[in-house]
Amino acid sequence: MKIFRFISILLLISLVSPNIWGQNKKDNAPKEKAPLLSGVGVGIDLCGLAMKGVGARFANMEICGRVGLKEKFFPIFEIGIGDCTRNGGETTNVFSTRAPYWRIGMDYNINKKMNGNRFLVGVRYGFSRYNYDFSSPDFADPVYGIGKPLLLESLKGNNQWLELCIGFETRLWSIVRLGYNIRYKTRTLQSVSELGEPYFVPGFGKNDNNTFGGTVYLTFDVGKSAHLKGQKSLFGKRKNKEEDKSKEADTSTEETTPRAAKRRQQ
Amino acid sequence: MKQKKGFFLALLFTLAGICGCDTIDCTLNNTVVMRCNFYKDGKSVQLNGTLTITAADTTIVLLNRESSVSTLKLALSYFNAADTLLLNISGDDYKYTDTLWIEKTSYTHFESPDCPVNMFHNITEIKSTHIFIDSVTITQPDVNFAEHENLQIHLYSSAD
Repeated sequence: MKIFRFISILLLISLVSPNIWGQNKKDNAPKEKAPLLSGVGVGIDLCGLAMKGVGARFANMEICGRVGLKEKFFPIFEIGIGDCTRNGGETTNVFSTRAPYWRIGMDYNINKKMNGNRFLVGVRYGFSRYNYDFSSPDFADPVYGIGKPLLLESLKGNNQWLELCIGFETRLWSIVRLGYNIRYKTRTLQSVSELGEPYFVPGFGKNDNNTFGGTVYLTFDVGKSAHLKGQKSLFGKRKNKEEDKSKEADTSTEETTPRAAKRRQQ
Repeated sequence: MKQKKGFFLALLFTLAGICGCDTIDCTLNNTVVMRCNFYKDGKSVQLNGTLTITAADTTIVLLNRESSVSTLKLALSYFNAADTLLLNISGDDYKYTDTLWIEKTSYTHFESPDCPVNMFHNITEIKSTHIFIDSVTITQPDVNFAEHENLQIHLYSSAD
């Protein structure tokens, strides 16, 4: 039910998005065409780093690499490390895991204008193979009264999941872009120890059939998409200057032509 | 400028929403007990006398002078390979004691650091003396959260 609700919200947003981003304005200017390979980018998730920095119970620290195709399609690969150490609120139990994870997928840019902003909807498929530990120092038999600390180490787990993403990304400066997205994650495969399920799955988050997550990516995007028409050039003042000079030359010839004609008339 | 403000506000709300979600989902039915029913002539019966069950070699009383018993819910030990239970049945003019040996393997079960750790069991073998107990059969060897019958205790016809 939650999946259908999410997909319907996603579709609704997709339908109304042209109005949100000003696409309904009639623009007589010719449409800009992006090249097939419009850019290559690498990014780092600030959200995971911030969560680790403030000592959150769990954090997914990840980087990504992506390719831009015609400024519309963005095949993407994400790799990261999921880290969790969780103490029980009213128990002395401790769960911990630290393992890598991978995601592959694709984003689609809904924004038709090439103005540096990207409104992205996408899909990812995630994998993680991990070990997890669980300890309970005060574990005791309540009836027979015998206590024996419980220490379970290196329990093996394997998860796969699907993610539906929706996000927005803007160009901050030159090659630097900042974007965030919200992700609906649904588990497709889980193989864990029969002693107990993990509390946290690296890359997925809190272990459940489905969950929500999000990332805030600082991306360095190089290529033709990084300096579109009307924006500051990627590497260059030099290029801008050259453009300005050529513009100046054009305007000077335009201005001089009518004067010469006037002289001839005189 | 307005667009940038909106972007950062949306970012802030998203992060707050993601970080703010946390729930504790422990199983409500989290008692692990072995369920036994009494049978006589193939039919479920209630005992007329009072029943007391103690663990052998200990002072632990698992059931204290319960009357009209038809079903038992007994906790098994976490760390012993076998449990020895003494079943004392008494009435106005009689008192019998039978012994039940339950061999099992136990393994821990956890859900979340916030939830208590439980011990599940697998009954491998069961033996008894035969004062008022005729025979004992294992119907479901797995003792866990599921509320199913694990043992059938068949009584002699005269032991009511």
